[in-house]
Amino acid sequence: MSNNTDSVVTNIAAPASAGVALSRGPFAAFRGMRWGDYLGVAPFLLFAVLFLIVPTLYLVLGAFIGRDGAFTLQNIVDLGTPQILNSFWISLRVSAASALLGCIFGLLIALAIIRGKLPSAIRSTVMTFSGVASNFAGIPLAFAFLSTLGRLGLVTAFLKLYFGFDIYRAGFNLLSFWGLTLTYCYFQIPLMILIIAPAIDGLRKEWNEAAATLGASPFQFWRYIGMPVLWPNLLGTLSLLFANAFGAIATAYALTGSSLNIVPILLYAQIRGDVLNNPGLGAALALGMIVITAVANVVYLVIRTRAERWLK
Amino acid sequence: MNMKSILAASVSAIALVGVAAPSYAANDIDALYKAAQGEGQLTVIALPHDWCGYGAVIDAFKKKYAGITVNELNPDAGSGDEIEAIKANQGNTGPQAPDVIDVGLSFGPSSKDAKLIQPYKVNTWDSIPDTAKDADGYWYGDYYGVLAFIVNDDLVKNAPKTWADLMKPEYANQFALAGDPRAANQAISAVHAAGMSTGAKPGADAGAAGLKFFADLNKAGNFVPVIGKAAPVAQGTTPIVAAWDYNALAWKDGFAGNPKAEVVVPSDGVYAGVYIQAISAYAPHPNAAKLWMEYLYSDEGQLGWLAGYCHPIRFNDLASKNAIPAELLAKLPDPALYAKAVFPTLDEQAAAKDAITKGWDSTVGANVQ
Amino acid sequence: MRRGKLWAWIVFALGTLYFLLPLIATVQFSLSIRRDAITLDAYTNVIQSPVFQQTFGYSIIIAVAAIVVGLLLVVPAAYFVRLRAPQLRPIIEFVTLLPLIIPPIILVFGYIRMYNSSSVLPLTNTSVGTNVLLTLAYVALALPYMYRAVDTGLRTIDVQTLTEAANILGANTLTILLRVIFPNIIVAVLSGAFLTLAIVIGEFTIASLLNRPAFGVYMQNVGANRAFEPAALAVISFVITWGAMGMIQLLARFAPRTAALTD
Repeated sequence: MSNNTDSVVTNIAAPASAGVALSRGPFAAFRGMRWGDYLGVAPFLLFAVLFLIVPTLYLVLGAFIGRDGAFTLQNIVDLGTPQILNSFWISLRVSAASALLGCIFGLLIALAIIRGKLPSAIRSTVMTFSGVASNFAGIPLAFAFLSTLGRLGLVTAFLKLYFGFDIYRAGFNLLSFWGLTLTYCYFQIPLMILIIAPAIDGLRKEWNEAAATLGASPFQFWRYIGMPVLWPNLLGTLSLLFANAFGAIATAYALTGSSLNIVPILLYAQIRGDVLNNPGLGAALALGMIVITAVANVVYLVIRTRAERWLK
Repeated sequence: MNMKSILAASVSAIALVGVAAPSYAANDIDALYKAAQGEGQLTVIALPHDWCGYGAVIDAFKKKYAGITVNELNPDAGSGDEIEAIKANQGNTGPQAPDVIDVGLSFGPSSKDAKLIQPYKVNTWDSIPDTAKDADGYWYGDYYGVLAFIVNDDLVKNAPKTWADLMKPEYANQFALAGDPRAANQAISAVHAAGMSTGAKPGADAGAAGLKFFADLNKAGNFVPVIGKAAPVAQGTTPIVAAWDYNALAWKDGFAGNPKAEVVVPSDGVYAGVYIQAISAYAPHPNAAKLWMEYLYSDEGQLGWLAGYCHPIRFNDLASKNAIPAELLAKLPDPALYAKAVFPTLDEQAAAKDAITKGWDSTVGANVQ
Repeated sequence: MRRGKLWAWIVFALGTLYFLLPLIATVQFSLSIRRDAITLDAYTNVIQSPVFQQTFGYSIIIAVAAIVVGLLLVVPAAYFVRLRAPQLRPIIEFVTLLPLIIPPIILVFGYIRMYNSSSVLPLTNTSVGTNVLLTLAYVALALPYMYRAVDTGLRTIDVQTLTEAANILGANTLTILLRVIFPNIIVAVLSGAFLTLAIVIGEFTIASLLNRPAFGVYMQNVGANRAFEPAALAVISFVITWGAMGMIQLLARFAPRTAALTD
């Protein structure tokens, strides 16, 4: 980055502090820093430790503490009850489904607005809208979908009135796996658009022209150049979308009360009222959630850093 | 004296035998008020504003006893959640710890045994029927009602008239309980009532029969495993919900005609349920809690509940003193229904609750899929 | 070939349908509170409700507090990292990633366990303490966005030159931060502020588990108990979120673009 400029500045701005002659040795990197610099960053780091890192670690460790206070793996084992396993399974499926659908449709829309030769105003509108929509999760989203696809929703009524097609009689229900997935897509797709747009931008025109010169059809371009370049980004974003959906609770809660058996709702009920009668088990649930979201996010970060090599 | 005969007497508005309570001023309200003002706050839990008119009752309390803020926790909590909240906050004197609870009758003895509540006898103690209170003063009945169906008439052409009707295919995907049957007294009572409607004896038998009823209902596809409240009824997610008549009537009022709704008491089983009040043994504001109890059991508090369609526990006492305004009486459901109502005893309720809360997941196993 | 490819138009049309329909349906539902009449009654019911006003006011106050605390934490940190301690950058960036990895429900669970009555810092014991905890939770949630906004803002102004110039004129660090740096990144700061506002207003999980009378909790309660008012609330919430985001876009046009980009 700008190490040169910064170190020059360091030398100019802090001539006196270099009096602590630690120009060699393990603290060479911190040469030239006054205690005042630490003071600036200290509150931030203190906050991070006290209110981000330690509470999470506290929970993680709490998962390994039994009722009597001793170290135990029993809580993890207790996660094996049918109800809890079922909730993890449903959560995984909903997250995977909404991530996949979000990925596919987000990619299609992003491709459409960037490479589809649509009027440029469309691109900026869609990007702005995506910025808003990706934050529209939670309770208002549930209300919006109830108004659309609920029993008395606009679309439901419309289909019944003009097409004689009652989706509820046909077995659809908003309060179900597919209903929830459909609702989640509302913030998954915009998130995908926002993240993949720069990557699509990175597919340089020169590559298209080079491929065309070599006689490649558009399909071949995508098959041999476009997709392979985008592929890591797609996987990475898929992972991010998965984590995003897994941790979401407000929308599902607003839709179904506490009836939908997904992990965050189970954890919510546990925190609210200790329904599982076992604080260690609650912590174990939390641990399970953290592990899954952390793994997914790490996958995203690793893939992203590697993919960025191609798009420099 | 059991509940049934007490009610029979009330229907004909005859003064109850020997109920002229000697009203000795055992508790000094003014001293309580001063002490409560010192505490400054009362924390309540699970009191939706349209349940028995609690919204108006809380407002009236705040007006009458200025200087005490009322901190309302989790209005959607069920009786089981309230007990858990006390347990989870033992030793916590912060605003998350409830001072008072309002739970189903069957939750009283178990809370007393678990030492979660403390005794207190209000000034009007003697006018509370013996069958509805703990002799040592740990818990005391506050109001009662019967189970009814609230039906969204826009979506349901013929409202069900009995529990058995619910099994009909025309009600596919329409019926829901008003709470979680593993924790909420309203839902547990509904399962119990459904069991009793099939002819089983109240208690463990009806509990098991109720579980079977709901398993069958679920298999038939008529049961929606979502908590039914005013909004889902109106929005069509759960057009038929089994709830206490006072709740059903309050919700119907709230609709103001949109959607059209009706409240039906199932004729094959009129199930009455009593709720009880108690003060938490770990209440951070015990004086405010006691003041609240004194208010609730005064004529004013009891009539506040009556305005919310609930039958307050001192109904007979008030009726004998002619303290009930006629227009309030007129809005209540038909007394003839209450004459047929079955009030399961404490033991029966406890047995049924045990069977239902433990057996729900395995027998019915209904989850939003 | 500006006409655009057919498949692109089809995809765009379908996308528009999926995203606009729920919005239209919500607005329509919110206007239907009275049979056979289009009225704004749902909106008036909501806005006139004292609980709405209380919870909305409460959430706004907490949002402002979260913004202020967040700025106090982030601006000095970003400034010093950029100016003097670039080796701390990876640590800081890792920290800003944490709130994205840790789901809010886990965060609040950790807070409840750690800061309850039996801990060294019993924040949950009092209303004030719990409010502080809630504010800090929101600071944590908004941290990544706040940091990125401030960092971007600092990147576009020449921090080194400004600092040197101020130093030469005899200013101490605090003065530099307050009177030189901060006014120059005000646009970026406002961006972060609006994003924090959007996050706090709609947030439900943390507020409900800490039993605070926040707007998100109120919305969920209304959603369970009233039929048409939730749709009105959803529209209001969407307008606020859109408004906040729109402000950010607007502000982006006014961001300073100096030639002396430092990296």
